[in-house]
Amino acid sequence: MKIPGHTAVGMPGKRRTREGPWAWLAAASVALSLIMLGALLVLLSVKGLSNFWPATVHQLTLKSGETVIGVPLATRELPSGQGLERRYLTANRDDGGGIWRWLANDQITEDTTPEDLVVLERRHWGTFLGRLVALQSGDQRLTGPDAWTVLESRLKEINALRDERRRLTHDEILPLIRSMEDQDGHRSEDRRLADLQRRASELQQRMQGDLVVLENGQGRRQEQALAETLEAWRPNAMAWHEKLGHWVRELWQFLSQGPRDANTAGGVWPAIFGTILMVLLMSILVTPFGVLAAVYLNEVAHQGRLTRLVRIGVRNLAGVPSIVYGVFGLGVFVYGIGGSIDRWFFESTLPSPTFGTGGLLWASLTLALLTLPVVIVATEEGLSRIPLHQREGALALGATRFETLTRVVLPMATPAMLTGLILAVARAAGEVAPLMLVGVAKLAPQVPLDGEFPFLHLERKFMHLGYHIYDAAFHSSDVQAAMPLVYATALLLVTVILVLNLTAIFMRHYLRKRHGAPVRR
Amino acid sequence: MLLAVVAIAVFLLVEVLPLFWPDGASFPLEALWSSPDVSGEPEYRWLPHRLDDAAVPQASLAPLLWGTLEAAAWALVVAIPLALGAAAHSSLYMSPGLRARLKPTLELMEAMPSVVLGFIAGLALGPWVERHLAQSLSIVVVLPAAVVLLALGYRWLPDRLKAALTLRWAALWLIPCLLLLVWLAMSVAPMWEGWWFDGDLRLWVEESWGLDVQARNALIVGLAMGFAVIPGIYALAEDALSDVPRELAEGAQAMGATRWQTLTRVMLPVALPGVFSAIMIGAGRAVGETMIVLMASGNSALMTASPLDGLRSLASSIAIELPEAAPGGSHYRLLLLAALALFAFTFLVNTLAEVVRARLKRRFTRRKGDA
Amino acid sequence: MSRLSRCIGALKRTLLAPSRGPRTLSIAVSGEAPAAVSRVAPGAVSRVASRLVSGLVLSAMLVSAKVAAHDVAGSLDAIGSDTMAELMLRWGEQFEEQRPGVRLQLQVAGSASAPPALIAGTTLLGPMSRPMQEDESAAFIERHGYAPTPVVVGKDALVVVVNRHNPLSRLSRAELDAIFSDTLACGASESIERWQQLGLERPGGTIHLYGRNAVSGTHGLFRRRALCDGEFKVSVMVSAGSAAVVAAVGDDPAGIGYAGLNHLNADVKAVAIGNAEGGILPRRQSLRSGGYPLSRDLLIYVNRPPEGELPDVERAFLDMVLSPSGQRVVKELGFVALPPSVLAAQRHALGLAELPRDGP
Repeated sequence: MKIPGHTAVGMPGKRRTREGPWAWLAAASVALSLIMLGALLVLLSVKGLSNFWPATVHQLTLKSGETVIGVPLATRELPSGQGLERRYLTANRDDGGGIWRWLANDQITEDTTPEDLVVLERRHWGTFLGRLVALQSGDQRLTGPDAWTVLESRLKEINALRDERRRLTHDEILPLIRSMEDQDGHRSEDRRLADLQRRASELQQRMQGDLVVLENGQGRRQEQALAETLEAWRPNAMAWHEKLGHWVRELWQFLSQGPRDANTAGGVWPAIFGTILMVLLMSILVTPFGVLAAVYLNEVAHQGRLTRLVRIGVRNLAGVPSIVYGVFGLGVFVYGIGGSIDRWFFESTLPSPTFGTGGLLWASLTLALLTLPVVIVATEEGLSRIPLHQREGALALGATRFETLTRVVLPMATPAMLTGLILAVARAAGEVAPLMLVGVAKLAPQVPLDGEFPFLHLERKFMHLGYHIYDAAFHSSDVQAAMPLVYATALLLVTVILVLNLTAIFMRHYLRKRHGAPVRR
Repeated sequence: MLLAVVAIAVFLLVEVLPLFWPDGASFPLEALWSSPDVSGEPEYRWLPHRLDDAAVPQASLAPLLWGTLEAAAWALVVAIPLALGAAAHSSLYMSPGLRARLKPTLELMEAMPSVVLGFIAGLALGPWVERHLAQSLSIVVVLPAAVVLLALGYRWLPDRLKAALTLRWAALWLIPCLLLLVWLAMSVAPMWEGWWFDGDLRLWVEESWGLDVQARNALIVGLAMGFAVIPGIYALAEDALSDVPRELAEGAQAMGATRWQTLTRVMLPVALPGVFSAIMIGAGRAVGETMIVLMASGNSALMTASPLDGLRSLASSIAIELPEAAPGGSHYRLLLLAALALFAFTFLVNTLAEVVRARLKRRFTRRKGDA
Repeated sequence: MSRLSRCIGALKRTLLAPSRGPRTLSIAVSGEAPAAVSRVAPGAVSRVASRLVSGLVLSAMLVSAKVAAHDVAGSLDAIGSDTMAELMLRWGEQFEEQRPGVRLQLQVAGSASAPPALIAGTTLLGPMSRPMQEDESAAFIERHGYAPTPVVVGKDALVVVVNRHNPLSRLSRAELDAIFSDTLACGASESIERWQQLGLERPGGTIHLYGRNAVSGTHGLFRRRALCDGEFKVSVMVSAGSAAVVAAVGDDPAGIGYAGLNHLNADVKAVAIGNAEGGILPRRQSLRSGGYPLSRDLLIYVNRPPEGELPDVERAFLDMVLSPSGQRVVKELGFVALPPSVLAAQRHALGLAELPRDGP
């Protein structure tokens, strides 16, 4: 590695003081870049991870005598410059519409954190904040601390029942219906279906029956079916290890569940899945082409004006804005090829497009094109690192050129290809703009991979982590409500991409150590 | 690969051409750059929804082009000093161990997905800056000034400290210093805002300069996009500086030049084409960047020079409008024309940069061969 | 081997006669785009070139061809507008709960594909956030011989919002137009650029305008109704979603914007729209009575022959949508549910059983 100047003036000496302010500004610019990177990562981690921690719920008494229960969030200065105001998450959307409230600090006369405040995660109307008054199950009415313990255990049962029911619909009822669609009219199967549907309704029945009596900040009581409740906790009464457990659970749910409430709650599993699937498909498409092109350029082609032109072309391809690839994908793949396929095979469904609209296949193809230069450049670099004498040795031992290529050169270049592939994957995972044109969806409840023949649905739209960030930040029903999840999703995406890049960097480092600098030819 | 480039170019051309066909489409070409008079004063407007029903289509690409270039320009304003400074520092002063780690770190910076940057810039940084205008300005003014002061004051530091705080490691130990300075700058901001600007910089700026501060403005876009292009420019510029034959630099230093003089007088002139091509490639990336502009810019198709106004770029228009445009219609073709413009621009810039780089590389290798 | 032959058999069947399955329901939701255009027709020239390529891709396609035909025959292509996609999803969820085994396929993508899908008969239900345009319904009549049946399933409105600290409470329609447009089609005499022009001390300075992008239905509706078909100022900050408009106004003391009713939150304040005497706020009453000027209906268009009946599943779905529990979803998502009288009329028109008297 050449470090001009550095070795020349290695020793600290008097001259150092004469470097002047420019040198320091240059140093500061490095520091500043690092600070920006660090600040970004810290911001993402803090905002992304803190959301899952069970926040303390406050009970406030206002000057007007009103009692408000809420979780304090952002603080802002009042525009007139008289003090501060604070945003509280008061939840309870069924109470009057909003889930937020801005309260000026001087409006609040009393601020306490009673232990009996509960947080209820519900399937409808979002979160509830307030108190548990009683639990009514059948004719039994429980109050006081008993109500809470029974509620917790009953909630577990209900969640188990819900999972059971989901499994029943997905694994048994739906496949049965599918097989019935293919071959019409089988009495026995009709009976079986009726039986299964009865079982599902039975499960649904068993979930119902319990009522929770709740009380909000103003003391107004309401009843809530326990079957509609997903989770309940009392953050103010939790010890730190319980909170930690809750945090881990919430994090896991974020990773493993689908979105709820117009992408403002729930998890990002379909987006993770969609991203992975798209990237896998893309890798399958891009690797052979990229490697073949690199091998041709570096091993087979005559190194002349044309190959130089091609190399410039490759670099150019890397510099073309991703949105242009998106436009290309939309025009050629989606409208062009997809449209033709629709006209040939799916004429009956026209004008509703099947392949003539964005989908998984077109997205993967577009991104494969986009990442092609990354793979080519990395593979070429790997190939050029392989010393000439290796090849000459192989040839001297009587191997043909083809054998040399497949037995000696390619195995040695495998890590380089992998590096290129990893970089390509990292780039594809973070790219959003072209996907907006060729097949990403805001909400795709049908994942493109399921138990239905042919299992992989190339024409379906899919969800993508990067697009999910954009969508939740701009299109969800309430940006403030979606914000914590957007941060968490952004953190997830950044983590994935950084890990991929780090892997690539380490692999390249290892390669350099093993094979030395590239041989210029 | 050449095929792919050609395919993209051909596709775009073929789709766009009917726009210019004299009889085929009804789109008058003048509308692309004309300025229909709407309210007394001529204004360039991008109103694609009026393409089909209005007598005079008002779909001037001019504001979009302007927005694209403005965003790219601000990105370069942010990125060039930082990236070139970093390149100069790491190729001249930095300890080799640190340098070997810095490069991958900055590579990570480049890998940061633009949708995340756009989100942070548009929804976290933008509103924050709008609320804390004085603090932000304070940071921008104080940081460079303080670093210069630090440099001047360095010679009076006790020798022990000097030995610990060398330029070789400056990139690291400056980080806490800078953080301290940022904090300092922010805490003095309300004071001088009260002294000089009647306690409200935003109103003052508007009243005395007529500038209106928008939450999503060109500067925020520039900052976020600068962040995205710093690593690219840095890597190429650093390569260019490292490729300068060592003998040149050593010779200059042997004659008594400081390292900074070596850089500016000897190395930079030699590596200038390489540095230039680094900037070109950075500009290419900035022009085509979509998500950052889309999320952080406000997307108002304005043609003002004010860095505090919003803007709208070609790329973000394509991203928003193309999925809704009817294929084959004028709007669709116009957006494709925008894509073609982007493609052509980046193609030219990249080719130029590549050619320059290749020339430079060959020159150095030849010189080495001669020596 | 037997599996393969079964697959091929299934492929043949679906390719030759793609019929809707017995228990599937297919719906396409319209996007917000103002014009309904089929997205299938590609550019004339690329068609020729792509034929060649598609021949190559074809063999790879064959495997997934079966399922695609199958899916479209029975899939819910819910194409996500800001407005109705979530509503349809929630209804779908509720419907699945009532009838386990009904396969509800929603696909969210984003444009006005409901009319073409209805016309082609791929779907019988087409939810739209705007009434069908002349040419769309004409095309439908031409194909089917009768008009599509619009079913109102809820009410939505556009709300003009300002920052929560803004003292502004009311705007006349001319003022609203003078703020947002420079064509002044609603009769104002001069454009309003600064808050002082509205007689407000605070917030000082220029009015910051926030709006939606030109291809969204919200943009079109606001332009037609509030700007009297005029043109927006160039300085409007364009956001990709209504929620982003609300968030931006909530962060900007000098901001004003418009958004869908369901996006309203505590960061912003709704402004009453009206004349000099008094404004009308977008409340349930004013929306139901039609007094609020910027309201719109949420519709599901149904392909129902004049003297025929809807298939069982579609019928049951609409029954659920037009029931108290279905309307509760409308309310929960921030829209305005239908008043009982309208609900009853809709049900009657569709030939659904009358609701029990005790109401919601």
